[in-house]
Amino acid sequence: MARRERIAITGLGMVSALGLGREESFRRLCAGERGIGPVSLFDTAGLRSQIAAEVRGLDVAALAPRGEAADWSRSDALAFVAARDALTHAGHVDGVPLGLALGGTTGGMYETERALAVLPKGQIQPQDARRLLDFPLAVSVERVARTLGSVVCSATVCSACSSGAVAIALAASWLLSGRVPRVVAGGVDGLCQLTFTGFNALGAVDPKPCRPFDVARAGLTLGEGAACLVLELESAARERGAQIIALLSGWAVASEAHHVTHPEPSGERAAAVMRDALAAAGLEPGAIDYVNAHGTGTVQNDAMEARALTRVFGSELERVWLSSSKAQIGHTLGAAGAIEAAITALAIQRGQLPPTAGLEQPEAPELRHVRAPNQRATLRAALSSSFGFGGACAVLAFEAADTRARPLSWQGPRSVVISGAANFGALGLSSGVGAANSLSEAASSAPTPSAIDPLRLLDPDRSRRFGRASALVVAAAERALHDAGCDAAATGLVVGSAFGDVDRSVRFLQKLFEQGPKFASPAEFPQLIASTSSGNASLYLGLRGPCLSVSEFGTSGQSAVSVALSLLDLGLGQHILAGAAEAHDPIVDGVLGADRGEGGGFVLLEAEATAGARGHVPLARIVLHRAVRGDATRAFAELGAPTLPSEACVVRGRLPSPVAGALTRSAWGAVTSYDLPARAGYHEALGAFGLSFAAAQIAAGRAAQALLVTADVDTVYITLLEPVQPARGPA
Amino acid sequence: MDQTELKSRIKRALLEELDLRGKTEADIDDAAPLFGAGLGLDSLDALQLAMAIEERFGVTIPEGEASRTIFASVNAIAEHIARAKAE
Repeated sequence: MARRERIAITGLGMVSALGLGREESFRRLCAGERGIGPVSLFDTAGLRSQIAAEVRGLDVAALAPRGEAADWSRSDALAFVAARDALTHAGHVDGVPLGLALGGTTGGMYETERALAVLPKGQIQPQDARRLLDFPLAVSVERVARTLGSVVCSATVCSACSSGAVAIALAASWLLSGRVPRVVAGGVDGLCQLTFTGFNALGAVDPKPCRPFDVARAGLTLGEGAACLVLELESAARERGAQIIALLSGWAVASEAHHVTHPEPSGERAAAVMRDALAAAGLEPGAIDYVNAHGTGTVQNDAMEARALTRVFGSELERVWLSSSKAQIGHTLGAAGAIEAAITALAIQRGQLPPTAGLEQPEAPELRHVRAPNQRATLRAALSSSFGFGGACAVLAFEAADTRARPLSWQGPRSVVISGAANFGALGLSSGVGAANSLSEAASSAPTPSAIDPLRLLDPDRSRRFGRASALVVAAAERALHDAGCDAAATGLVVGSAFGDVDRSVRFLQKLFEQGPKFASPAEFPQLIASTSSGNASLYLGLRGPCLSVSEFGTSGQSAVSVALSLLDLGLGQHILAGAAEAHDPIVDGVLGADRGEGGGFVLLEAEATAGARGHVPLARIVLHRAVRGDATRAFAELGAPTLPSEACVVRGRLPSPVAGALTRSAWGAVTSYDLPARAGYHEALGAFGLSFAAAQIAAGRAAQALLVTADVDTVYITLLEPVQPARGPA
Repeated sequence: MDQTELKSRIKRALLEELDLRGKTEADIDDAAPLFGAGLGLDSLDALQLAMAIEERFGVTIPEGEASRTIFASVNAIAEHIARAKAE
């Protein structure tokens, strides 16, 4: 274990139903005001709940850069305001390289719905469908990054309602590993009909403003908003004399592997995650003075959370202040973990306790609920908890800025190996050394992947409602996990997904528009969010490590590997599966071209020492995995020449011509090259397919070095694999 | 609609709406419990089933405990539909 320091929060930006800025939001929150009212964004007739915590007065056109107003979604604008305000608050000056990590679940779904609503009924024509693909989840990060400038690394993560908290944990790993000196991290979600109707169909909404922890609570109230934290190492923040709002000391991210929509009722899993966050922070339960609960107001969540808190705090419970902010700002889904982290940090800094509004008769009176507005208390340390669909849990631990610095331990970067690899292509599912043949001549003449149904590889009883993309993910991840011989309970998963199940979401919405909300499918809704595949895989495979999705256009699989490496650095999960899969989708295929293929791949990543301790011989070692924004020429130069050009190979994704040119001119230009799109057909998860292929080339002894190069939008990924060195004998 | 036809339509609704892949109408016993041990269905399936029965048969399924009795078996669903239609 390596030593580490704490992370300083030096700036906060927040947009909520209580205000377009941090100060207004927090002041009104502490005063107990509620931002819940009738929904104005769309028609709610016929729904159980007609209310939400809407952000009022958001002027998207005024916030977007000139000429881009029509392209920006409400979520883009919310994220931008939060990020901009956080940087101003931090006294950030341009020129310092920034990381940007945002969590979210639906991105520009509201705008997609508006585009869909005006289309003619029935089958959608490709020319009409283009607008439906204008808002992939990753677009907010891309727009905010371009508008802010100086962003050198970025990620879009989704773990349902814990997304915002996961983005913050990811930022901590970037800072600790020295990847970037300052990170803007947070979450965003705008209201949309998909989630509003979906939670209504699940019967999970309260017709009245929600009442977390009350005996009469009857469900959640949806909200929207965004929050961003500016994070830097404590030493760096102190050195530059920055105002430290609070310190992020610890974090934990894990999965319950229990049920797609229900929390594990005993609270045992949630309690374990809270304990892990405390342990990471080097804090005892007795040091915690306040918990900002997930507290959705659903019968199941709040009961589970009360049990979890009892398990963690025991007799300390009567001393620890507890509140949920959702009765005032609603459940902001992917933004909730970030907004509530910001609230927790401000509560610590200012000694102010935000109350749980609407709480009349607590179900668990043994909890120390904050009930009166504008209460004050000295808070040394606090937790913020988030729990999402698919059992995605994340807990963050914060401390006051003046608490004593102390060395903490963390895993830190280690030599990482690929212990299992599986890909899905024209030959169906291949794994291990067998994946070395996944691009052979036979592959190009094999039936198209459409002829191979990934669902047939799965147990039908446990894969009910899985879409094709989920089935590809689970089938490939299961094989990689199996080949590596890892314990599922100690394994996490990062799934790259460019678009998600567009056709299925569109059908859900078309039915809503044509038949009304009465027949919105409750079981369908949890299959339509960005983290559907990772949640499904966690449940199917019993994965209890961190399970989440990432989105980054055609490099989503490579972003997944980056995030998986960060999770390993953080010590969150012994083993992490990483990859991507894309399925045929009538709408996506219609827009992007009939020759769009499908498939993907997953690798199991772990520290070399972890594989060694199990006696497992990995396929390959990851020597380098790098994302480069902009010109890749320097990155190729820094790579050096292949050790033996005759024993090296390059595996290429679809490369824009400047990248292809830079690669050709580099020392790697003349080695054996495998052109993935030419031989396997293009789809957005082709890079993930290629990583398994490259690992297999190494394992089969066909190459001593394999370089995978993929690119999309502004980002180029370079991954270099080499054989695992045989264990050294005694000297 | 006679009882046999009604039960067959209920089973088709179960197979399709609950995505019971690999199962056929013959695998569903008219009298067997649907939830718990039976087909391994849960409360999310119950919500889906309530929506689907309302959509496919035009009858209302009450929320909460009452729906549990109606969803006890294919026979119970058929009885509820027949009774609701007769009213």
